[in-house]
Amino acid sequence: MAVIEVSRVSKRFKTYDRKEGVWGGIQNLFRRNPREVKAVDDVSFTVDAGEMVGYIGANGAGKSTTIKMLTGILVPSSGSIRANGYVPYRDRHQYTRGIGVVFGQRTQLWWDIAVVESFQLLKRIYDVSDRTFEEQLEVFDAVLNLKPLLYTPVRKLSLGERMRCDLAAAFLHRPRIVFLDEPTIGLDVVAKENIRQFLKRINAELQVTVVLTTHDLSDIEELCRRVLIIDRGHLLFDGSLEGLRERFECKSQIVFELREPGQVDFGRLGFNSTVEFQQLDALRCQAVFDKKQVASAELIKAIVNSLAVRDVMLDDTTIEEIVREIYSRGEVVTR
Amino acid sequence: MRHLSILGYYFAQYIKVRLAYPGDFLISVFTSLAGTVASFGFLYILFHRVSSLQGWAFEELLFIYGFNLVCLGLFNVLSMNLYEFGERYIMEGRFDQIMLRPLHSLFQVIFEAFRIESFQEFATGLVVVVYVWHKLDLPLTPLDLVLFLLMTICGVTIYLSVFVMLSTLSFWFEDRVGVSPPVFNMIAFGRYPVTIYNVFIQFLLSWIIPFAFASFYPTTYFLQRHEFSSFFALVPVVAATFLVLALILWSRGVRGYQSTGS
Repeated sequence: MAVIEVSRVSKRFKTYDRKEGVWGGIQNLFRRNPREVKAVDDVSFTVDAGEMVGYIGANGAGKSTTIKMLTGILVPSSGSIRANGYVPYRDRHQYTRGIGVVFGQRTQLWWDIAVVESFQLLKRIYDVSDRTFEEQLEVFDAVLNLKPLLYTPVRKLSLGERMRCDLAAAFLHRPRIVFLDEPTIGLDVVAKENIRQFLKRINAELQVTVVLTTHDLSDIEELCRRVLIIDRGHLLFDGSLEGLRERFECKSQIVFELREPGQVDFGRLGFNSTVEFQQLDALRCQAVFDKKQVASAELIKAIVNSLAVRDVMLDDTTIEEIVREIYSRGEVVTR
Repeated sequence: MRHLSILGYYFAQYIKVRLAYPGDFLISVFTSLAGTVASFGFLYILFHRVSSLQGWAFEELLFIYGFNLVCLGLFNVLSMNLYEFGERYIMEGRFDQIMLRPLHSLFQVIFEAFRIESFQEFATGLVVVVYVWHKLDLPLTPLDLVLFLLMTICGVTIYLSVFVMLSTLSFWFEDRVGVSPPVFNMIAFGRYPVTIYNVFIQFLLSWIIPFAFASFYPTTYFLQRHEFSSFFALVPVVAATFLVLALILWSRGVRGYQSTGS
């Protein structure tokens, strides 16, 4: 069942070019040069209940603009959005009760007051009952280790601590959909892992639908089965992570190290037409191949059987490389 | 009811934040008080020279002044974020988080900060009003009390509406909008009987920026100046009209909100 339906949505902004310098500033007072920027262009997709979807794109690709339209902050220039049964910008009051939002760049909490006071204020704003409130705090504390942070003002928290509190705040009122815009930006490995564990658990246990944008593709690899790729306002890909790997020639490579230095005759291996071999130096060789044509197990078996090797390393294409490839091609591939 | 309890919580939090720096808070109360005393001093010196102002006695002016302070004090307590709206909320992008909560956006903006020291103006104004009421032996019925309360609410509403409208300009012009301070200074014009001004300013203060409806016209009823009774009757109408206009303009602005990058 689709919980978010986005159909043919575009968002255009009008910006004014400014001339530089003092004289330019004076000219700007009298003449403004309007320029229209299409941040999101004819984007359509749906998200099912309980799904965890990764929304990726380079800086300025239109990710945040999409999230802002999905959360009701911005009004689409054209097209329609329905989420949780509401039109986000129009039914903002009812709609925001059922969603949670985290912007990695900016806290949702009140800067000067203790974390627990922020939670208390949110509890009142969202009409959360005392019991639910206590329960939620227990759950969050178990995963995010919140208790030591509760009585500190938000401005005194480290980025990682603040993000843990922001996540808890976004889930406090048991939302059905949660939007996370760069939730792991600027965090260290441990903090990232904490947050991923939390998201996995919440998504699995409470069936919360999660839409998350990120730069860090390892977030997506760990959390999401489905990805949407946006570039310069266009949706370039919508499908499963495996589909993404399959669709774009995912070159895999095997690097193997010989026992003794020497020249290798790759012809003996019998993969000449499908695998590209290359001797890197006296000891190390590289085999590049397409997983769709060659099973890596077969290739490794052949190498180990016919050559005297000490070490074999298999290296899959990372999503990062695929995305880079998609960006450079810039073609539209939706399912 | 829910809004009231949230308002109370916002207020309690804000007091806590302010009292975290007691020295700063005391100084701001003191400077605020000094400003009020100075403006009364001006009125006193003025009437030391002239005994009446176009038929208005010193006590009557004092009453208008006191009533104005009651409304202005409450307005000042509530208006802190309106002046900084463009900068704090639009340019810094904090309006995003306002939009994500199931409460009216204007409610949140106004109640996220209070100028607590301005309660001093409210209290001073009330003392002055009570003093003049007693001194001039003005009639005091329960109805008068109710009307005084109603007029106070109308006065605060008119000030809030005007400055909300000015703040909404920030939705369209992202640059700092510098019109609020001069308009704020115009509030002082409303502290005197409008009849002392020329026709142009009378019209401006009544129908364009209706500060006369927030201070002078409401007091005429209590001062028994019944030649202004039709203006007095219009006070709630003007307040309601400007409130509605302000709310319409605000929601227009919200729909046109463009947010900031990322």
